Amino acid sequence: MPELFHRKLERSAIGFVIAIIAAASVGGIVEIAPLFTIDETVEEAPDMRLYTPLELAGRNIYIREGCYACHSQMIRTLRDEVERYGPYSLAVESQYDRPMLWGSKRTGPDLARVGGKYSDFWHVAHLTNPRDVVPESNMPAYRWLARNALRTDDLPQHLAAQKALGVPYTDEMIENAARDAYGQATPDTEFASGVTERYGEATQVSAFDGVTTQVTEMDALVAYLQILGRLTDAAYRDTAATEQPPDPED
Amino acid sequence: MDFSYETLVAFSKSWGLFYMMGFFLCVCVYAFWPRNRKRFDRAKHSILERDDTPWQK
Amino acid sequence: MLANLTSSERQNALILAGGVTLVGAVMAIMGRSDVLGVHGVIVMLFGGVVSWMVMASFYGPEPAEDRAASYYDDPIKVGIALAMAWAVFGMFMGVWVAAQLAWPDLAFDAAWSSFGRLRPTHTSGVIFGFGGNALIATSFHVVQRTSRARLAGQVSPWFVLLGFNLFCVLAISGYLLGVTQSKEYAEAEWYADLWLVIVWVTYFMLYIATIARRKEPHIYVANWYFMAFILVVAILHIVNNLAIPVSWGHAKSYTIWPGVQDAMVQWWYGHNAVAFFLTAGFLGMLYYYLPVRAQRPIFSYRLSILSFWGITFFYMWAGSHHLHYTALPHWVQTLGMTFSVMLLVPSWASAGNALLTLNGAWHRVRDDATLRFMMAAAVFYGLSTFEGSFMAIRPVNSLSHYTDWTVGHVHAGALGWVALITFGSLYTLVPSLWKREGMYSATLVEVHFWLAIAGTLIYVFAMWNSGIIQGLMWRTYTEEGSLAYSFLDSLVAMYPYYIARAFGGLLFLIGAVIGCYNMWMTVRAAPLAATRAADAPVLPAAVPGE
Repeated sequence: MPELFHRKLERSAIGFVIAIIAAASVGGIVEIAPLFTIDETVEEAPDMRLYTPLELAGRNIYIREGCYACHSQMIRTLRDEVERYGPYSLAVESQYDRPMLWGSKRTGPDLARVGGKYSDFWHVAHLTNPRDVVPESNMPAYRWLARNALRTDDLPQHLAAQKALGVPYTDEMIENAARDAYGQATPDTEFASGVTERYGEATQVSAFDGVTTQVTEMDALVAYLQILGRLTDAAYRDTAATEQPPDPED
Repeated sequence: MDFSYETLVAFSKSWGLFYMMGFFLCVCVYAFWPRNRKRFDRAKHSILERDDTPWQK
Repeated sequence: MLANLTSSERQNALILAGGVTLVGAVMAIMGRSDVLGVHGVIVMLFGGVVSWMVMASFYGPEPAEDRAASYYDDPIKVGIALAMAWAVFGMFMGVWVAAQLAWPDLAFDAAWSSFGRLRPTHTSGVIFGFGGNALIATSFHVVQRTSRARLAGQVSPWFVLLGFNLFCVLAISGYLLGVTQSKEYAEAEWYADLWLVIVWVTYFMLYIATIARRKEPHIYVANWYFMAFILVVAILHIVNNLAIPVSWGHAKSYTIWPGVQDAMVQWWYGHNAVAFFLTAGFLGMLYYYLPVRAQRPIFSYRLSILSFWGITFFYMWAGSHHLHYTALPHWVQTLGMTFSVMLLVPSWASAGNALLTLNGAWHRVRDDATLRFMMAAAVFYGLSTFEGSFMAIRPVNSLSHYTDWTVGHVHAGALGWVALITFGSLYTLVPSLWKREGMYSATLVEVHFWLAIAGTLIYVFAMWNSGIIQGLMWRTYTEEGSLAYSFLDSLVAMYPYYIARAFGGLLFLIGAVIGCYNMWMTVRAAPLAATRAADAPVLPAAVPGE
């Protein structure tokens, strides 16, 4: 008899657990499930290009250093934001972003369209010591990035993991990931041509930190910052924006 | 079966709402069911009783 | 601590600790060319130290007493100590990062000490380290007392407590090393996340098995909140952290959620971490320790049930209010806003229920700083839930989002609600667990209370001001129709507030340090409760020094 009594108590506890799940799961399901069919509503962007291995490595440094804690990458559909930062962000622009870096706080300005707005040299100087360039800035200095060699040997694995999740990297891109990372930061070498071949003519090949003897974390981070907002022109086509995407050559 | 985005959204919006109303009806019935009153009263006073040992079978 | 375990339980503990050490060794070998290796060594050390502690008293005498006749309080005591240690660490990190915003050179030009790496050590340190340990400790206490049953395990409570702390150590050391998923409040990488799942499932099983030992058919409402906290955090944690590692030898992983889906999942997680970690669990504390300390039953038990289901149901919809005016579909934003506003009803029901419980005992609130901690917590809970619903309204959010206002709102909740209710509960719990007459010094509790209140108010007012100024400067236009201020202008305007905020945080930290000292001295030096066999808090009149 005490045995039965006990089981009944257990049943009521488990029934309670199920009630909590029933109450709590529905909100998430309703809001998240339709997003799996979002392809139908997301803007078309046939010109969307992929992050090169160097840019992906730079993106991972951006994540590692917690840049997202102070910089958003999401321009809202508000007049002042569009005038300050450029056309508002579209869902398609972050379709390959794992994780997304929309951010939640602007201690510093939004970076969604910072690519091409400043020169490589400016970025390197700014990252080395922000107060040399912007005296009032409270951004940390990232001097060590220029001293750290970039780890490139595992980049094929990074690209393969991305591919497994649905990012359309080709086998050739995966195979050549380490070479391409080196090539993008060393223009006028045999490695450089492969990058534009695989990732498109518009890919910026440059000695980002000004030194071509080794590829540093500074190279990668600047390469990433320079591609922000320039993976596709969709935002300039599909929103009311009149501007053109910034061109670093100007 | 393929769901289109619109169907899913419509389903979410309508049935989500019915689900919520049904759920709350159940909760209110439970909370105000007369038989439960004694049980709740005992529960709210029970934590104030002084005890230092678990109950023993 | 091991005196309460039988020799076969000691064996099990040793096997578990040895297993963890072994897993650490595998991680160290697999990840030898990556930071994963460093974490392998940390896991090995952790497992090794625990193994050594088990072995040191492995052949001690068997427990003599009948264990079923007493509550299992050892893990609770250790949990309280860990919670306070993490509180000091996490709040110190908070003061440091706050100071870095005003004086950026306080990073001393090192990688590990830059703002972006330190910030998650602060958030994880206070939320998981302080909050998590306090929740585990108090939930173990509440479930035993309200079920009148001993915890349904001897080794598993230690596994939950120490395993959770291993997770915290991995998470926080990872941020310093540059290991992060960048998902806010879920920054720890895949292996730490997997480990937390194991720990959390054990926690859930232990909790439900203990509840099943009760005699009374009804489960006391505080346990409802703790159960919702355990269950929903498990769901949130698993869904948000689904990821595939670059390889078994890499700390780095890529989340399975891309772009806009990731944004929705992240803020569904992020907002409900606030709801179920920082609200539900702490409401569990409120519904037990507040009535016990006030020696008055909760004002309305029915209201507590209604607000429980309201919070459990509504909160899950509200996350999308973090994504107003973004690329998230508009209808999802609207749903998030609607439910956020509706949330005010169950939230205020809880806050009102707590305050009405105190109605008629205001003299006790005046005289007893511990009870006052809990009252102030209920007030701040009411204020910050109102603020939260307000900020979720789209036009308000257009001003407040991305600014310090959000930071101020979070801290009104985190300092004013979460930390205050925790301190109030711990000041109730510590004397009762260690069987003391009361806290070592009632005056120090009083000092802590006023430092905490002053710190919170300075902090919150500084952030309200800076947030609103910032938001307004960004959207101010000149008469010619161009933007009036550059971004830099708005940053320069923030400096005085950043300094004030760091000062407010410092006051709060000093209060926590005083609390640690007071608890330590209570355990060490406070007189034992003479013949008081009862497991109830001391009435204020009996507290020395008053």
